[in-house]
Amino acid sequence: MTYDIIVIGGGLAGCTAADVLAGAGKKVALFAEGLSLHDATEGPASPKAQARSPYSALSALSAKGVTVFRGDSIVKADLSDDGSHVVRVFSRNLGDEPLVAGAFVLATGKFFSRGIISYMGGVFEPVFDADVEFEPDHGKWFDTDFFAPQPYERFGVRTDEAGRVIKGGIIIDNLYAAGQVLAGEPLSDEGIESSGRAAAMEIMKKW
Amino acid sequence: MFLENSSKEYDVIIIGGGITGAATARDCALRGLKTLLVERGDLCDGASGRNHGLLHSGARYAVTDPEGARECISENRILRRIASSCIDPTGGLFITLPEDSLEYQEKFIKACRDCGIDAEAITPEEALRLEPAVNPRLIGAVKVPDASVDPFRLVDANILDAVRHGADVIKFRAVTGFLKENGDVRGIVLGGSSIRARQVVIAAGIWSAHLAELGGAHIDMMPSKGSLLIFGHRLTRMVINRCRKPGNADILVPGDVVSVLGTTSDKVPFEDCEDIRATGDEVSLLLQEGINLVPELSTTRIIRAYAGVRPLVVADKAASGRNVSRGIVLLDHELRDGIKGLITITGGKLTTCRLMAEMATDLVCEKLGLKIPCTTAEKRLPGSKVRKSGKDPVHKRAAVGRHGSEADIMDFNAKGAGEIICECEQVTRAEIEYSVKNLGVRSISDLRRHTRVGMGTCQGSFCISRVAKVLAEVLGTPDKADELVKDYLQERWKGMSPVLWGDTLREAEYMHKVHRK
Repeated sequence: MTYDIIVIGGGLAGCTAADVLAGAGKKVALFAEGLSLHDATEGPASPKAQARSPYSALSALSAKGVTVFRGDSIVKADLSDDGSHVVRVFSRNLGDEPLVAGAFVLATGKFFSRGIISYMGGVFEPVFDADVEFEPDHGKWFDTDFFAPQPYERFGVRTDEAGRVIKGGIIIDNLYAAGQVLAGEPLSDEGIESSGRAAAMEIMKKW
Repeated sequence: MFLENSSKEYDVIIIGGGITGAATARDCALRGLKTLLVERGDLCDGASGRNHGLLHSGARYAVTDPEGARECISENRILRRIASSCIDPTGGLFITLPEDSLEYQEKFIKACRDCGIDAEAITPEEALRLEPAVNPRLIGAVKVPDASVDPFRLVDANILDAVRHGADVIKFRAVTGFLKENGDVRGIVLGGSSIRARQVVIAAGIWSAHLAELGGAHIDMMPSKGSLLIFGHRLTRMVINRCRKPGNADILVPGDVVSVLGTTSDKVPFEDCEDIRATGDEVSLLLQEGINLVPELSTTRIIRAYAGVRPLVVADKAASGRNVSRGIVLLDHELRDGIKGLITITGGKLTTCRLMAEMATDLVCEKLGLKIPCTTAEKRLPGSKVRKSGKDPVHKRAAVGRHGSEADIMDFNAKGAGEIICECEQVTRAEIEYSVKNLGVRSISDLRRHTRVGMGTCQGSFCISRVAKVLAEVLGTPDKADELVKDYLQERWKGMSPVLWGDTLREAEYMHKVHRK
């Protein structure tokens, strides 16, 4: 299966990127495995939240022509020999059916949605094994005050200025990260949306 | 009854609301003494609430401390009878691994039998059939009558019995000094007020050293920190021990639906006792050793890590905590230091709490010139009364499991009483109301100790706002709900942060998103 762009993750960042790209006439596929942290914690009461409930957001994207794979996730990727380009990816449900696209958006979120996975000795990004910024000393992952900003919230994938993911020090030229999967200051909802938009704009410049 | 202050004069005041103080208050009250128990925080807030929850058979001590082992097996049998609702008679298994020695196992079995502890050697195959999760490399196993005990329930039951026999309890008030006349202790000082009594018993765990100092006596104590891990599943039916000389992380105790692994043993300074936390190094050490007992621990979610302080009394100049006496220490300060009216009971174990109380109360009675026999070994504790058989309604069953016959005095008929407030542990509004009324609960952390609210796998993420609202209503301070939540989350964070990875970090990220505004 071939698309212009494959978006991995159906939360606030992934949906925003897919929306912008589909609006520009691109052929987009979006993989939305489960609830994002944003969607899992948003109260159902406000009209804004209802408009962005995971179901209505994904349905709206489908109506715009995005191919939405609900309950499926990208589990593996093939890179070019020099490691600078994503050639194809594979999903859990589609097995060995290669999924090809010009560009990819990594919007898998952080720990809750398993965009970044932690274990006793460290953290990793499970789809591309991208470079992840984190604190090697576990004693510095948290602040003893529950209500203080927590260092673990800053962990995430490294990117260049254009938001392209880095693996083994090499920039992957067609893989853009958006949303909470990014390393650095935790993003507000608005920040997540604008990072999704930014990834889409970068992609449209080049791909 | 639970009081804020008291102007009565008592026969005996007991300082400390842990298991030793609670059991002593019960014994004194059952013997008809006018009794007051004072606790600076909530009940069971020290080492009594920060341990394995293991009802020792004595087997662990049979080789090294036969006297302690005999006390354990005798008290084990008594508590099974009088505190049945607090105890899960799991049995225990002492496993021998290739790096241990079967010679030690032989010595161990003989030592157990000499102390009157049933110890039956079984084959490794039989052990794996009983407990499929134990290390399959084992070369020997011994069955002993260990059990799992809920220390929170055991303290509650003792306090309830004391109160129902006329004792008073003051919580959240610290003893700041003693009333003294001619060098003798005549009561206690609580900040601005004082309360008179004919005898004062210090039963404050590691804090006994400080209190004795206030009373003019010196006890050489050594705080020994023990850290433990709680795993999110019950991996074994029985208590699993290593059959070797006692060491780190060699006991796994199943409790309700979780497993508790411990402990470490390290000398710490007194100032650390106020805010004791498990460290990353201790977590690593526990895991490293624990997987030798049950290999599956390496892939099981750790819900939290916590630590308590053993009140060891220094009998010699031993350097590490494990060799210093863990036996019962009863100090008659009149005889020892010339201070009339003051007694200290400390050391000992959770398993021997009733015996410690009997010894302390015997001494109190002797000082008061009374000869009243102890009946605590015969009388069943509240909650452990025999219940009429019959089917309980679904929403009442979790409460029956936790509180035994006490669930029968909870009001499940009132409107909304059966509403489930905490899903993980199936805590209902009726149980919360009961705890506030009978146990002087003020915060969600207190409520947790008495009902297990928020102790399940979600650690309160989902239910805590609801719990706070109900608790604030029952307390009559509906505007305090937010404060209750904040206080509780800080406390949960203390135990979650040392094990912040995997699913526990996923949970934490969710918790922060929901509760930190």
